[in-house]
This record gives sequence, structure tokens and C-alpha cells, in this order.
Amino acid sequence: MTFEFPKSLDDLPISSPKWVGKPVNRVEDPQLVTGKTEFIDNITLPGMVHCAILHSPHAHARIKSIDMSRAAALLGVVATLTGEDAERWSRPMYTTPQGWGGYVLATDKVRFVGEPVAAVAATSRYIAEDALELIDVEYEPIDPIVDAFSAAQPGSPKVFEEHDDNIMYQRVFTWGEVDESFQKADHVYKESFRWNRVGANPLETFGVISEWDLVDDTLTCRGAFQTASFMAMGRAATFRLPSNKVRFIAQPHGGSFGGKGGGRGTDITLMLSRKAAGRPVKWIEDRMEYLSSGGSQAWDRHYEASIAVNDDGTVTALRVKLLDDMGATAEGFGATGAVKPMASFTGCYAIPNAEYDLTLVATNKLPASPYRGMGPPPHNFVLEQMMDIAARDLGLDPAEMRRRNFIPADQFPYIIASGNEYDSGEYEAALDKVLEMAGYEQLRREQEEARAQGRHVGIGVVSTIEPGVFDWNAYTVIGTQGIGIPEGVTVAIDTMGKITARVGFALEGQGQYTVVTQLLAEYFGVELEDVRVVLADNLSAPPNFGPGGSRLGVAITGAVLGAAQRLTEKLTKVAAKLFEVQPEDVELLDGMLRVKSVPESQLSVANAAAIMLNRSDMLPPDVDPSPQATFAWTAPGRVEPDEQGRVKSYLTAANACHLVMVEVDPDTGQVEILKYYIADDCGTRLNPANVEGMVQGAVAQGVGATLLEEYVYDDDGQLLTASFMDYLLPTIHEVPFPEKAALVTPSPFTPLGAKGAGESAIHTTPAAIMCAINDALLPLGVRAKEVPASPNRLWKLIQGASG
Amino acid sequence: MKPASFEYFAPTSVADAVSLLQEHGLEAKLLAGGQSLVPLLNMRLARPTVVIDVNRVDGLSYVREDGDALAIGAMTHQREVERAELVQRVNPLLHAATRLIGHPQIRNRGTVGGSIAHADPAAELPAVALALDAEMHITGPNGEKAVPAADFFVTYLTTTLEPAEMLTEVRVPALPQGTGWSIQEMARRHGDFALAGATVTLSMNGGMCSDARVVLFGVGATPLRVQQAEERLIGERVDAALISEIGREISSSIDEPLADIHATSEYRRNLAGVLTERALVEALGRAA
Repeated sequence: MTFEFPKSLDDLPISSPKWVGKPVNRVEDPQLVTGKTEFIDNITLPGMVHCAILHSPHAHARIKSIDMSRAAALLGVVATLTGEDAERWSRPMYTTPQGWGGYVLATDKVRFVGEPVAAVAATSRYIAEDALELIDVEYEPIDPIVDAFSAAQPGSPKVFEEHDDNIMYQRVFTWGEVDESFQKADHVYKESFRWNRVGANPLETFGVISEWDLVDDTLTCRGAFQTASFMAMGRAATFRLPSNKVRFIAQPHGGSFGGKGGGRGTDITLMLSRKAAGRPVKWIEDRMEYLSSGGSQAWDRHYEASIAVNDDGTVTALRVKLLDDMGATAEGFGATGAVKPMASFTGCYAIPNAEYDLTLVATNKLPASPYRGMGPPPHNFVLEQMMDIAARDLGLDPAEMRRRNFIPADQFPYIIASGNEYDSGEYEAALDKVLEMAGYEQLRREQEEARAQGRHVGIGVVSTIEPGVFDWNAYTVIGTQGIGIPEGVTVAIDTMGKITARVGFALEGQGQYTVVTQLLAEYFGVELEDVRVVLADNLSAPPNFGPGGSRLGVAITGAVLGAAQRLTEKLTKVAAKLFEVQPEDVELLDGMLRVKSVPESQLSVANAAAIMLNRSDMLPPDVDPSPQATFAWTAPGRVEPDEQGRVKSYLTAANACHLVMVEVDPDTGQVEILKYYIADDCGTRLNPANVEGMVQGAVAQGVGATLLEEYVYDDDGQLLTASFMDYLLPTIHEVPFPEKAALVTPSPFTPLGAKGAGESAIHTTPAAIMCAINDALLPLGVRAKEVPASPNRLWKLIQGASG
Repeated sequence: MKPASFEYFAPTSVADAVSLLQEHGLEAKLLAGGQSLVPLLNMRLARPTVVIDVNRVDGLSYVREDGDALAIGAMTHQREVERAELVQRVNPLLHAATRLIGHPQIRNRGTVGGSIAHADPAAELPAVALALDAEMHITGPNGEKAVPAADFFVTYLTTTLEPAEMLTEVRVPALPQGTGWSIQEMARRHGDFALAGATVTLSMNGGMCSDARVVLFGVGATPLRVQQAEERLIGERVDAALISEIGREISSSIDEPLADIHATSEYRRNLAGVLTERALVEALGRAA
């Protein structure tokens, strides 16, 4: 059966859309705001015990011995666990690239401060933490490898003795005539940049309750899982169990942003449960654990970039060399963040030639995790600085520089140099919109006036792409397999006419349950209250992956529309039999199945479903009495990468244009954001309020990365930012609320024309703020090239200028 | 993040609290608003075996006018001081400083006595206590005594309080009418501990400075009074040139502050000078 998905809201079986495309209130919110949502730490199971994990205090050390006897003897301790157990019962962690990891508990040596070394389960978390102090570990410290450049040198001490060096991955991707373009260019600009380690910080850290049933060897895990089915598959592989014996129940959770990996905590609690005769074992990662040993850290990057530019400002080639410090292992898919920039390598620009020289290096730091945006935000920061550098030198306004390089609106679908295909876009329209909102010319005059008064005011105007809806082929170049599976839903109408949708992803904050509700209410012409979305565990849900890579909104839309269409086909047959016409003579409109030629002959969807369930005498012979349908959606047209890694990986390309005005205080280096405007285009907006929330939250994370957040390690590999005293998340006081405008250029490739919008402004905000800072610093003749642009760093830079 | 086990007492009188302190000595910690102690306990960075919770001690939460001073009970929540019209009227500098402490949630729990006894050198209340010549009223096994702020702060997180002594009241003299004042600080985020700060009081008489007090915080082991700067001000017409000269002198003369990941020692010295200048300008504008 082939499906023709509705390309726009007009194609839905309704006279005029009532729910989809409207900023309806989120169905998730009443539970959330009344404190009723059941997060993992709210759950207590009979016989449950509590896990605490002992973390390595050393960045690099050999483990000489571990003695658990004193801990095991503490009253209330039920089970203890070390690397020996992990070696006996599990496989080493899955890593990408492969072969760069160990067991979930250290065995021969520890490779980062915070690495789990041993664990205990006890009748309370207090006792469990007391027991940690009774574990005797003898370490033999080794010189830590902290600096990425030194680590990448031949002959460097090694994080993994079994490898030749610390290079996890190294490859140069060349797309087009790069050398020639640089030789022929009128101008070549080269610069280096530093993006310091930042990462995801959801409100809720990871948590899990694991049970290992010893009678039939089944595993049951409840937890804050971003991708429950994927996790379940991984556990089956880790513990060599049949995959249908692993049950994962995702709880609603307080955000993830890529930080909810949780593989280690899940495996440790499972093995503790096995040791504790199957008792449920709960582990709630505390914030210090999250910051020092969880999914908190990403993107620790050293960049060199160059661009080839003609006199008229057109960019003919881009070269980016990245040394990405991955930390101690390649667990948790952090490395995919270095590859994703290939999905939008040349941004919004028609740059025909490009080269990516990529090195991933191991050091004795926390392994890098995914983080919202999944890698392009630092790349965009680099690309946009380069565009500004060229614009300044050529005497072009930064907005004009971009305008001259945009992919024209009539060129879509457009395949960029690195191989990904952009579905649609009107980049110039977004730029024009932002310039108009900001009153750009007036703003430039204000800037001139401020400069005349000796104030350091700057404006940044940047445009970026948000690749959306990743698929299995996006990360195969670094050896990742099996990511990007279909997203499914089962839609059922009961005998009372109420609709239930069963999905495989838990509440995480993005509002997809609302989107599912809107779509079904719209399709079947009912009220939002008539639809309920429920979560199924991995064994009972249709194929699913969950949120990630700005995919779920689009993917679940496809799934819902597919299931609704399948269900409608059954209902149509029922109505046709009743009205004694052929099924093709019946259509669904506004919740009624009606005979096309005799619209008065109509049957409600609810009645059709009730007939199916209750009146076997009225059931057509080829229809089973089940008003249910399942559909799993996946992106069409995905193929393997070519020899240069070129691949159509992400189905959609949303775009945004940000304009920021800042003032830098030269005496303190403090940056103040004065004005902020955003125009963004993610195609059809299924729920505009959801999208706006995504943009606003991503602005906050972008401000954090640009001005505040940084994981700092000292020369011994000790983390100096293990609490929120020192890892500075932006608060409401630091986050601007930009004026926002929406453009709508539907995607021709997706159901209803929606594009992935979940990562949003984090792709753009750091680039925009840094461009504004550098515009402010222009009269001083200095340029900031490192984020976060902390007051101390900027002050020092300014001191260098005047001194 | 669970504390190591400790014994817990909740006395209802100062006398009981003091006798518990006497009994348990250095093993004991007083719990007031808990804004510093509780995180330290939970991270197991502080491991007292005895916690004496003084939240149930009667009569330690008040703000009253007593002659030419404000008498503030040690257990008075910072939020109460911030909201007291009396404080705003009698001592606007204390009011402004209180508003710079953390966030409303923190000030709802944090106490005046707790902050001052904790003696974080980057905190606002110890700095204004020094700037305003506050007096610490202390009860111990040998009865009550008063210690001027100038003698109270010893070094990082250390005061002259003996193990069995408890701070019960802080007396802050009123800011004389017409005194110019300012508190300036630089923090990475709104509500963070200051990387550096400066507070200034300035009395002007016939265009000349008749009295001045300059106190820095966040740049030394305790709040720092800069008498050198005060001497440069007194007897002078305070103008832009003098102010920037004083700023420069402070930046170049104060002992090297500690560096951390947010601020080098060089940057902190710069901030001390810059913030002093800004405080002087603001105080001058307010002086009558």
C-alpha cells in the first residue's frame, strides 16, 4: 500500500483546520503544573533498594585493588558491585567509533575523574552513600592526558594501551575543487577558534529503577529514558539476552537535550539487582554526578577555518579543520556531534567547494555526550565569524555579505557541497524580515552615535540552518549503525468513540503528545478531550525511536496520518456496507463518513467504530472487528554515503536569521544584550506555541554557551566545575526574550510540510552574539575567538588592544 | 548527595544552644538558614558530627530601631531586612546590599547572622557590616559581649567567634542624613557571589569630603577597608580626576587576590579599582 501524505493542512479531511497549526494549550501541562506527573524519583516499588556509585577521584590511574568487604558489612547494604562483575556478566560498552571504551565499571584502570569504579545497593540512599566511604580502592596514578593537542601528538601517553595512539578517528572529507578554489580566490581568510566544553543540563538528571528477574532472566527498567526502545536493544546486547526479555518503561522526564544517556547507571543497577536476588534497584543521578560523570559534557573543540572569497563577496570554498576532544571513551554517541555539521556544512550559503579535516582525540576527561543541536552550533559559530571577517575586509555590510551568498529560493531542493539535500527555504526573506523588525538602518545609526560617545556597541546578523529529521545514514561515516529507526503509533477508537494513540516515547517537554492529539482530533473531527495519548513500553509499542535530531514532530506526524488513513479505510468499508455503496463512494469529512453523491447519508466515525466492535452482522466480510491501525513512518529516499561521506541524511532544513545588538563594557569585559530579533522558518508550524517555546529555550542555551557555560579541567584532569556554583547556567536574568517572527516555507518532503524544529536557536544564538561582540570590539582592533566570551577573557583581550 | 550522619539538636533558647556548643565544641555546627551549610553537608564537604538547628530559638528574629542604630536579630531572614521600610529609611546602604544577596528564594531562608558568621569574603553583608561599623553581639559560656566588625573577620570563613559562642544580634549604626553611599559588584550572573565588589560612604561638607569609608569585598580573605583611599578623599573636593586616580591606586596597590576559574587575580584587582570608581561616583551623586 502506498501512502499519499497530506502535503498541507488543506489536504486534511476537514472543512477548515481547528487544531493543527494553532497554538493550542499543551495537553501535558495540567499534570505538570499541578505536580502530578510521575517522574522516576516519585516511584517506589516493593522491596526497592537504592544504589550509590563510587566515582574515580583520579583522571588516570591503575586500579591495584578494590576491597568491598567493609562496605558489604555495613548494616543495610544489600549488594555490592565492581568491574569484576561487569566483566563476568556484560560486554564492554558500545562505542562510536568502535573499540574506544571499557566496561560500565572500571576494571584495569580509570580514565577520567568521575568514572564509576564500584557500586552498592542499600536500603536507603544515605546508607548507600555511607557505604561508599567504606570501599577501599588502591590506585596507582598515571600522568593524565588533558590537553587535546598533546594527546594527538605521536608518542603521547595513551588513554587506551591497546590502541596505537589517542586518535579515535581522523579523516579529511573533500567536496569539490577545494585547492583550486583557494588558489584562484581574490581573497583568502584564515582564523582559529576555540569552543570550550559545554553541554546539556536538563532540570532532571538521569534516574532508573532496574529489576533483573532471576527466574526467567527478564529485565525490567523504568527510567528517564530519551530513547527507551534503543536502550532496551542495547541492554539485550550488553547482557547477551534475548531482546524480547528486556522491557523498558520510559517515565516522563524533565528534559534531556542529549544528556539522558544513562547507559552506565542502567547497567550498574541491573547487575546490582541481579546480585540482590532481583530486588528493584533505584539510582537517581545527583547533580554533581551528572556534571562530573553523566551526560553533561559535549563539544570541546579547536578549530582552524579558511574561506576563499571573490571581490564581490561570493564565497567559493570553505575549509574547516576540527580537533574535537572526546574525553576518555567514545561511549554515548558524543562523536556523532562532530559529523552532523556535514548535514549543514556550508550553512545557508551556496558555497560549492568545501573540506572537513576531522580528528577526534581521546583525553582523560569525561566522555563527550550529545547536546541539543548535536554539533553544528560550534561549526556555525566558526562559519559565521568567517563570513564577518570577510565582510569587514571587503567593506561589505555583514547582512549584505550573507545576502550575496544565500542559496536562492528558486534553487530548492538544493544539494550542498557536503552532500545533504535541503528541502526548501527562503533565506533572503528571513533576513529581510529581521532587518525590518530591527529597523536595521536606524540601529546602525544608533550604533554610530554610541561609538561617538565612546561606547562599545555592536550588531550581529547571522543566518543558519537547522538540519531536521535525521536517519540511519547520518552517522555511518564514523561507524554508527542502527540509529534512525521508524517512528510508529497505534490509533484505536473504542466503542464509545474515544480515540487512544499508543506511542513509544515518553514525555520529555517538547509537547509531542499535544501534536499527536491535535492531529487526531483534526483528522477525525473531534475535540482535543476526545483523544488520549498513552505510552507503551518497548515490547508493546509500534517501532519507535523517540526524540532526537529534531525528528519526532515530523516523524510522529507521518505516523499519525498514516495510521489515521489506514483506520479510515476500514471505517469507510463499514459505512459503505451500511449505505449499500462502494467504499470508493464514501469519504471522510469533518468527522463524518459520507456518501460523496448523497452527503446526507453519513455516519460518524464513532458510530462506525462502534458498529465494528459490536455488530458482527453489519461488518463487511473483509474487515476485522478492530477499529485500530498502526503505522510507522520513516523518511523516504535515504541511501548510503558516497566515498566522500556525502549523503542525504537529514530530511528537512529549517533556517533562522538572528539579529543581536550588544554592548561590551571595556572596563569589566561584561556583555549586555541590548536587542534581539529572530525570524525563523521551520515550514508548517503544527503548534506555533510549541515552536516559540523551542526557540526561546534554545536562545537560553545559546546565551549560556556564548557567555557563561564552560566545563573547566585543571592540568591534573580534575573537573573544576562540578556544581552549579561554577558551571554557570543562564538564569531568567541573563536570557533575552527576542522579538520573534515566523516565516513558513513548507517542506515538500514531509507530511503537512513541517520541518524539524526542536534544536532551533542553539544553532544560531552563539554565532549571532559573537558576531555582535566582535562588531562592538571593532574600533579596538581586537577580535574574540573563544567561547564563552567571559568578562575576564574579553577584558584581557581589550587590555591587549590598548596596552 | 546525602550528608554523612550527624546528631541533630533543636534548642529553643540561646542558653541551650550555647550549652550544646560547649558540650560538643568543634564537632558542632550551628544551622541557621542553611544556605551555605546544607549544600556543604550534602556534598560531604562539611562533616560535623553534631548539627544544632537554631531556627526554633525564640527572640532572634527582629529588626528594630534602637537609638541611632538598627538592631537586627541574628536569625532575621535577609528577605525581612530587605522588605523592612525601617531599614530602607535608616540605612539605605544595608538595604541595597541585602538585595544583592543571591535570589529571593535564598533571601527567604538565609539569615543576617548566618551570612555574617559564615564570613564569606565575597558576601555583601560582611562588607557592609565593616563599612557601617556594625557591632556583633555575641553570647557565650561567659555571657554576652560586643565585637566591632573591624575586629570580627579574621580570614576566609573565619571570625573571632569561639567554638561555644553564638552571634545573636547585629547592630548597624544609622547612616547619617546626607551621607552618600553606594555598593557596586560584578558577578557572572545576577545573584552570584561577586567576583569583586566595592562599597563607599561619603560625607560632603561645603564641597569638601569630610568623611569617607571604602570597603572592598571578594578580593581578599576578609572584607577590606582601604584607609589609603579614604585618606585621599577626606579634605578634598571629590572630582573625576581624583576618583579615577583612586581607582588606579586600588587596582595597583591591593594585595594579589586569589584567582579562580572565573577571574584571574589581575582581573580582580582591575575590578576592585573600576568598581570603587563607580561607587565613588554614585555616592558623590547621593551625598548632600
